[in-house]
Amino acid sequence: MRIEAVDEKTVQLTGIAPLVADCLQRLGEILEQRDSPAVHQRLFPKPSTDETINAEWEQFTAPDLRHLFVTASETVFRDLTALKLDPQHENLFCVAFPTVHLAAWMSAINQARIILGEQFHITDAEMERCDLDPRRKADLGLIRLHLLGWLLEVLVGFSSGTEPAA
Amino acid sequence: MPQTGTVVIEETRTNAALATPWNVIVYNDPINLMSYVTMVLQRVFGYPRAKAKRMMLEVHNQGRSLVWSGEREQAEHYVHQLHGHQLLAKMEKSEA
Repeated sequence: MRIEAVDEKTVQLTGIAPLVADCLQRLGEILEQRDSPAVHQRLFPKPSTDETINAEWEQFTAPDLRHLFVTASETVFRDLTALKLDPQHENLFCVAFPTVHLAAWMSAINQARIILGEQFHITDAEMERCDLDPRRKADLGLIRLHLLGWLLEVLVGFSSGTEPAA
Repeated sequence: MPQTGTVVIEETRTNAALATPWNVIVYNDPINLMSYVTMVLQRVFGYPRAKAKRMMLEVHNQGRSLVWSGEREQAEHYVHQLHGHQLLAKMEKSEA
């Protein structure tokens, strides 16, 4: 999987493995969990130990953050309508999207990872596990979290100019 | 004259309160990628990569890192930015 500039305004993600493509297709259903109570606490954390500041934050700032998250997700959903089989790589997928949408992609993918982490109570120890069984719902969630992490790593590398090996 | 004196005392107190810096702290979490946290610290604060990476490693190894200190309004802005990138961050009044 790699990302490259097509021209000044467009980037193309190629060689997307079917499992990663499946995660991208499921972004919508994952991100729908944004407002479940446990996830809400993590995506909209209290900014302080001062309850007055926290109350003001919940009232005025959290809605702004939510809008930011939803807007990024909607941008990615629109871009994903162009996800297709990669003509250069058999059984792999590709998608091209505007370079200015890179931040939205990183946001939506990271939101999904955070949500999966909260849904399945993922700890540091869980993140190190290698004995994952995709037939188990929690393990499948962790597999998806890692696959989205792989994609995010590629996007961060491109965005920071420190592209990891494909 | 008495009125002027009162004003001076209030200003002194206000200035003292304003002068107390606020710290912005980033906390460790199991999900965020190290490369992602480094990139966010670079983008939000404009830090060079080496400094951002050092702070990220402090978060990773020690559970938290003080990433910025200064006025409350700016601290709120930074925490908002960090939450916007899904990092766990809090602001707290400096004890110094």
